[in-house]
Amino acid sequence: MAIQREQLQADVLIVGAGPAGLSCALHLASLIQQHNASGAKPELSAENIYVLEKGREIGAHQLSGAIMNPKALAELVPDFQKSAPLDTPVTESAALIFTQKSSFRIPITPPPFQNHGNYVISLSKLVKYLGGLVEAAGVSVFKEFGGADLIYEGDGIAGVITEDKGLDRNGNPKANFTPGYELRAKITVLAEGTRGSLTKQLVAKKHLANINPQTYGLGIKELWDVQRGKIQPGYVAHTLGWPISTEMYGGGWIYGLSNNRVSIGLVVALEYEDPRFDPHAAFQIWKTHPFVRNILEGGQLVRYGAKSLPYGGWYAMPRNYFDGGLIVGDSGSFLDSQRLKGVHLAMKSGMLAAETIFEALQKEDYSARSLKSYKEKIDQSYIKTELWKVRNFHQGFQNGLLNGFLNSGLQQLTGGRGLVDPMRAHEGYEKYKPIDGRPAPERFKGDGKLTFDRLTDVYHSGTRHEEDQPCHLKVHDLNICATRCVEEYGNPCQYFCPAAVYEMAKEGAGVKLKINAANCVHCKTCDIADPYQIIDWVVPEGGGGPNYEGM
Amino acid sequence: MKILVITEQRQGKWNKTSFETLVAAQQIAAATSGTVSGVVIGKGIAAFADEVAAKNVAEVLLVEHQLLDSYTPDGYCVALRQVIESAKPDLVLFPHTYQVRDFAPKLAAMLGKGMIGDCVGFRDQAGKLVFVRQMFQGKTVADVSFAGNAPWFASFQSGAFRADLLEPHPVGKAPVKPVNVEVKPEDIRTKPLDLFKEAKSAVDLTQAPLIVAIGRGIKAPENIPLAEAVAKAIGGEIAASRPICDEGWLPMERQIGSSGQTVAPKLYLALGISGAIQHVVGMKGARTIVAINKDSNAPIFEIADYGIVGDIFEIMPALTEELQKAKS
Repeated sequence: MAIQREQLQADVLIVGAGPAGLSCALHLASLIQQHNASGAKPELSAENIYVLEKGREIGAHQLSGAIMNPKALAELVPDFQKSAPLDTPVTESAALIFTQKSSFRIPITPPPFQNHGNYVISLSKLVKYLGGLVEAAGVSVFKEFGGADLIYEGDGIAGVITEDKGLDRNGNPKANFTPGYELRAKITVLAEGTRGSLTKQLVAKKHLANINPQTYGLGIKELWDVQRGKIQPGYVAHTLGWPISTEMYGGGWIYGLSNNRVSIGLVVALEYEDPRFDPHAAFQIWKTHPFVRNILEGGQLVRYGAKSLPYGGWYAMPRNYFDGGLIVGDSGSFLDSQRLKGVHLAMKSGMLAAETIFEALQKEDYSARSLKSYKEKIDQSYIKTELWKVRNFHQGFQNGLLNGFLNSGLQQLTGGRGLVDPMRAHEGYEKYKPIDGRPAPERFKGDGKLTFDRLTDVYHSGTRHEEDQPCHLKVHDLNICATRCVEEYGNPCQYFCPAAVYEMAKEGAGVKLKINAANCVHCKTCDIADPYQIIDWVVPEGGGGPNYEGM
Repeated sequence: MKILVITEQRQGKWNKTSFETLVAAQQIAAATSGTVSGVVIGKGIAAFADEVAAKNVAEVLLVEHQLLDSYTPDGYCVALRQVIESAKPDLVLFPHTYQVRDFAPKLAAMLGKGMIGDCVGFRDQAGKLVFVRQMFQGKTVADVSFAGNAPWFASFQSGAFRADLLEPHPVGKAPVKPVNVEVKPEDIRTKPLDLFKEAKSAVDLTQAPLIVAIGRGIKAPENIPLAEAVAKAIGGEIAASRPICDEGWLPMERQIGSSGQTVAPKLYLALGISGAIQHVVGMKGARTIVAINKDSNAPIFEIADYGIVGDIFEIMPALTEELQKAKS
């Protein structure tokens, strides 16, 4: 029996309350306010803008390093310096090369690692702040509601169906069953963040992909309270080298926040040969480097989290306008993979989307033709200036670090062109090499003080899900997991997942995939890095997921 | 506007939301200069009808039938359809109860009408009646009105109106009018059995002084009786860490940890539990923790008062035997 869903009609529906989605909402609300104040017709209303957010609260699922370039925030909230939670300005930027025992500081910090004028922030706090401004502007933010399906209409979309609530693990309604709402909108903005589940559907269905597939990194982060004097607020260091092999692309970060708090993390590109590489373990091992250990010793882990990030850049940017909708932020590949900075670009993309929508609402034309001006605005903005320079950057590293430095040097000299332009990329999971019968390595355990196993870290992510609900990690062919994957790749899901969601449990003589979905921190790595592309990450019941307060 | 309020009683007891719905009806009648008719349905319910008649209503329709003794959706729909067809109301109101959720949409559909369920208020908007209902878990409200012709169907959420605002009858008592309805046994396709109350969580682990908890080390559901035997011998409750309940080997209510119960018994015997922090936060308040695990590095030993590094499958039967001996 088809479920009858309640309908709600909006002018603008934004899926995801992150930096991009909220900047779009806030900028649009202020354009509408100016428009109405000038007496212009037709009168518009910010109350017809809705934002969906799957997290328990605004900011609950926000995780980044984070160093932010404030230029988009300055445009969005001119007096931001007075009101925004910026934590601390960057005072010193260092680039370090790690070997197992020691570290070298590169004497002149290379430009991509220069952060003068930027701020060390908690993205979660910044987003919470933006959320407050958005709600004060009259926009409704529906927390604990995720976008489960798109409403397709014509060549585009006409809204979103939110997730059904109150289903048990077999998909049967429980006493509190509430079917998802059918939220229809003139314009739907996909602001889902990295590897958006609706964006993924739409890009495939409507063939919106660019010449390169999107490639990703996985960032794993811990927030620590350390002993006084161990690190200066505003000190930021990026590390290259140990324990990441030169065949791989990745590095660590150490950012000093105020009040003796430190943000540390490791980012690795999800394109490596060893299917049993364990990014979480690599991060834990990185922490044992004398340089990092010295900072952390005597301190305490406060919070843990992980999130993927899109590396693909300009040539992986999907077509971001279509009938009835736009794509902004990480879902739209607005991230500079050389500087690993996306917050200001995400915000700017949201603001340009808002300007486009504002025009469309006035002309009452929501077709792709009308929304195409979004793309034009991007091309004329600093988004293109910044991303164009590094359009081939990440591709240059797909064959290892040394190659990458060569390519990147050449690109630097040629305004981003390098040897080949456009340089093509391949899907990260294509890089896995079969295990060829090699035995599985022993799992990393941690000492419980400086280093931790994954379950302990997951505990510190504050992750919570309703236990009795359908599994939100849809594996389309469990048979592959128990047979082919065991032989060929040794079940990489057990290793790449930073939240211990996937586990191969013994069953009789063989093994069976067991999914501990309640541990999921919504990083999307499984959806990206599974070699057979049979895992679909879909939104769980709203409110489930990590609690990244302060991250 | 003629308003019919379908009240709900069950086994000699009112569902109190009935009176709140009567208040809503009185207020709508006042706003639209309409009248309210109370409907009481069941068998042997004259006293209920009298109670409603003492309120400010124009009349009470008493719908009694042998086959309406126990609630069935078919019986109620067949009977109420006849009531509505003869009384010809403009608006039919229900308290939004589980029973109403069961039959009212069906009744409305039988008459080719829609229904606005679970309303929290109403407004008279220039002669048009608008109902208010919550959306997005109460984060926003929507105005909803009927597009077609009367009769219209709506139900009100429990607590939406204050029952103490119910107006008594101005002069004494409204007339109680029995309505004859025809209900045939073959109309009713369901057979009500005895009413039962869903068992509350059968155990309250938070009150248990002795808990025997099992973890992954138990390996298979067939092995659980071994642990249950220990629990029985010691006079304690059986509990488990998440993987066991997740597999469905024990019910969820027996899960200890961050996503289950938090307990602080006198004795906590952890069998084959590694002691992941998610479990430990649910039991670290136990006065005495005894852990048995074959892995000497298992974190459970860090918080255990007594620990045995060994195979639970050897130790459980031996322990049961010793405990039984000690008791006898």
